[in-house]
Amino acid sequence: LLAKRWYGHNYQANVYLTGGLGTATDRSVAGLGSDTASFVGVMTDWETRTLFVSYEARFLEQGKLGNHSMHAARFGWAPYTGDTGELHTWLMLEVDHRKHFDNKTTVTPLLRFFKGPALFEAGYNVTDSAPMFNFTYRF
Amino acid sequence: MKKMLLILAVTLTSLPVFANDNHRVMDHHAQHEKNQGEMNHDEMNHGEMNHDEMNHGEMNHGEMNHGPEHSHGSHEHPTENAKEDVMTMSAPAITTTDDITAALANGGAPVVVDVLGVVCDFCAVAMNKIFGKREEVSALYVDLDKKTLSLVVNKGASLSDKDIENLAKKAGYRIAAIRRDAEALGG
Repeated sequence: LLAKRWYGHNYQANVYLTGGLGTATDRSVAGLGSDTASFVGVMTDWETRTLFVSYEARFLEQGKLGNHSMHAARFGWAPYTGDTGELHTWLMLEVDHRKHFDNKTTVTPLLRFFKGPALFEAGYNVTDSAPMFNFTYRF
Repeated sequence: MKKMLLILAVTLTSLPVFANDNHRVMDHHAQHEKNQGEMNHDEMNHGEMNHDEMNHGEMNHGEMNHGPEHSHGSHEHPTENAKEDVMTMSAPAITTTDDITAALANGGAPVVVDVLGVVCDFCAVAMNKIFGKREEVSALYVDLDKKTLSLVVNKGASLSDKDIENLAKKAGYRIAAIRRDAEALGG
């Protein structure tokens, strides 16, 4: 949910409110099972056609699995400026902090591509040694 | 980790946008356009001006009051267009695509809208969706380089400035200016 947007000739900045509802399952050796989960969060970003900065804070409520919070920041740079309909490419770095994890702070370099209504991200969390993929399509 | 963040910070501060060089050029050009009839060069910082990036070919120096101290002998006035997004002596004209050319040929009215906050293709998708639904609009194109929305309004139809403003708001953006007809064509 877009809560606020600032407009400039060369930039835009946004504040979004986020939320979700679902089921969380504990897959650790503790085997706590599953429970209903929900999250609320706030995300803010500032972007030009070549620079991007964002910050997100999220609180997760998972019933018997416990409550958690996370913070994440992203920095992005576009090596070239794509015009309308062209392939846009971004080099990004995400740093996130999850208080309840062993590796509390992790770093994920990623590539973001988008063209028209489709956005695809591929990254690798170098702290947890885990790949990351995101896909968004704007209807 | 700290070393990585430090390297990133140093890299970002060395980028042109942070260094603000581009804005100096744009600011100068915007001021140039605004004050064509009453330029006071004594108040301008010529040390920051980059005449090589200006498109003097489209300037009408006869209408400009440069004052007695300005000399054109020290710089060239190329007649070929410089890069369009650097040249800001005149407001951007309508962006021509096959659809827009065809719509204009059918008697449609050209409209150019300067849009604030247009930085990515998702912005273009949002505006295409909102404006594309309007029966009055026969063709449109969002130009990220010029930061404009080019529209052709069907012959006999009308789309008021207020309508355009409201549609842009609905798409999530704000407008800075609207140009129509000859002005939209760059005349």
